[in-house]
Amino acid sequence: MNTGTANKDNLQGPHMGHDKDPVLQVRELTVAFNLPQGRAEILEGVSFDLYPNEILALVGETGSGKSVTAKSLLHLIPGRNCEIRGRVLFEREDLLSLPKKMLQAIRGDKISMVFQNPKSSINPIFTLGEQFHRLIRLYLPHRIAQVKLKMGCTRKQAVQIIAKEKLHEVGLTDTERMLKLYAAEVSGGMAQRYRIALALVSAPEILIADEATSALDVTVQAHILKLMKDLCTTKKTAILFITHDLGIAAQICNRVAVMYAGRIVETADTKTIFKNPLHPYTRGLLKAVPKLGKNESLAFIPGIVPDLVNPPKGCRFFCRCDHAMDRCRDQKPKSVRVENNHDVSCFLYHPDHTDKKEIPNETAPD
Amino acid sequence: MKPPLIELEKVNTWFPGSKTILGKPRSWIKAVSDVSLNIIAGECLGLVGESGCGKSTLGRTVLRIAPLHSGEIRFLGDPIGTLSSKELKPYRSKMQMVFQDPKASLNPKMTIFDILKEALVLNTRVEKHAYLEQAVELLHLVDLRSEHIYRYPHEFSGGQQQRICIARALATDPRFIVFDEATSALDVSVQAQVINLMKNLQNTFNLTYLFISHDLSIMEHVCSRVAVMYAGQIVEIQDSRALFDTPRHPYTKSLKNAVPVADPEESNTLEVLKGEVPKLSDPPSGCHFHPRCNYAQDICKEKSPLKSETGDHSWVRCHFHETLWAQGTLIDN
Repeated sequence: MNTGTANKDNLQGPHMGHDKDPVLQVRELTVAFNLPQGRAEILEGVSFDLYPNEILALVGETGSGKSVTAKSLLHLIPGRNCEIRGRVLFEREDLLSLPKKMLQAIRGDKISMVFQNPKSSINPIFTLGEQFHRLIRLYLPHRIAQVKLKMGCTRKQAVQIIAKEKLHEVGLTDTERMLKLYAAEVSGGMAQRYRIALALVSAPEILIADEATSALDVTVQAHILKLMKDLCTTKKTAILFITHDLGIAAQICNRVAVMYAGRIVETADTKTIFKNPLHPYTRGLLKAVPKLGKNESLAFIPGIVPDLVNPPKGCRFFCRCDHAMDRCRDQKPKSVRVENNHDVSCFLYHPDHTDKKEIPNETAPD
Repeated sequence: MKPPLIELEKVNTWFPGSKTILGKPRSWIKAVSDVSLNIIAGECLGLVGESGCGKSTLGRTVLRIAPLHSGEIRFLGDPIGTLSSKELKPYRSKMQMVFQDPKASLNPKMTIFDILKEALVLNTRVEKHAYLEQAVELLHLVDLRSEHIYRYPHEFSGGQQQRICIARALATDPRFIVFDEATSALDVSVQAQVINLMKNLQNTFNLTYLFISHDLSIMEHVCSRVAVMYAGQIVEIQDSRALFDTPRHPYTKSLKNAVPVADPEESNTLEVLKGEVPKLSDPPSGCHFHPRCNYAQDICKEKSPLKSETGDHSWVRCHFHETLWAQGTLIDN
């Protein structure tokens, strides 16, 4: 049911188990804000597919539009001063044009989201238990009835039993005590695991993790990453993992989409993107990542992210790019399929660009 | 061997926990307990650890911003641990700090010139009429242009703001700068710019750095020596290269293995430590790491391990470091 352009059709190659249809298709998503300074196109034609049973990383710097993408998928951006165009196809329906009531039925149920700061997305004035129980009563009435029948207990006890079960799944022990606490009384790692457990109560088909581990320590992060990976393999949940950390993308994601200034500049399998990055921005980004055990001086990308109120007319990476050509100034590069599952938006790889062999690839890790 | 610029001797920084009716502390939060450490002139010492392990508090204790409970701090041999704030003044300008969030540490109502001038006043070597000249020079040092001088902090990007903070730290002509997670809020592509700048400045002015970060992978690029902190104690100090190749403490190894490597073909073992970070108000007995350690034995619960030297200016605090070392348990192959 691929509805994309001609080059999207060979997405269903033998590679990567993409024999299934995507659960989520995003097409030409454009988000613009009307700011006092003028109109800013924060997203400009973002398109990607999310397949069941995969973790797709959306990586990019601050202000590249990663979080806006995530939020606009579920229409979570406040409507004033904001224009959203494009299509987000989920179960053959366009989420962007669904009435609010129907959208509300999908939010948190079929598509869940985990945010960066766990404590700010938990209500501080209710105990963790109260919030968790409410969700269980909302989403799992059948399961409650089952447990009630099986254990011969009251409804309240059944809810508590399910809550503990769900918290065990995300690796939390001592659940009895934890459910009596408030958000402020638990550590960041515990709060984030609790948040993930909350998001999973409804057994969603898609989990959107917006910088879900960025505020956590590496040791806790490792735990959460493992959890996400297990979730993807055992429950077949499709995960959109938004992060600025290329290490996370390398370790747990199947595919990576690199964003820059509101556009996806390159999409490929994780291995391909780290071994053979094509877009100059991806290359620069990979070179700037500090690596353990390699003490070479760090490279950086000169300049800063462009002002999106007055973005460059052509390619948005134009001013910072070493390989910029004349056409990059005025024309916007279209996404080109370079090889199987590898798309890049750069004129260097356009079929009509002739001397493409001469681009040195200094970034490929040895 | 170069003399130490800063010596810490059995430094304890405790904060009062709950209090009695009379306001006497009933319990203490032991953010830094029993830390002895030398910072050698001209080096960049890294300090890593999880959040809440006391690394920022240690950095602030060295500068005498956090209250010192017991122990002694020496700056170029002068004890500064018990000096009053008046007596500390001449030392203050020699020791500076750069914070994590550049936006929050620059006054939004002041222009860059005002911000730099405030610090330049403390620098006795600069004459009053030369402030502007000096401020422009500082901006050039951190790769900003002179026309930036009358702008306000919000007109700059995060990386530029952090460079302004570094310029302000340099304004007092310091010997020693503490960078408290100074690059953590920046993007990788910008982080590299700031780090390269820091390194250049260190060479030009012969500065000594204490670089606090939770990010292990950045350490090797910045620091010559790295100290690993866990629950208020320093468990290991080594050369940054050696620390990652041949960790001596089980915690260092776990920390290293928890970092996701930006290379899909390298080890996929994201090691998960069991348990939680201990509360500093009630740290575990003996070795603080024993409840989470895979190699812990009975002695670890009872006795706090002593420092054992493992080389020049490197040591480890673990009862079993010799056995672990001999067996090569902590070394990746």
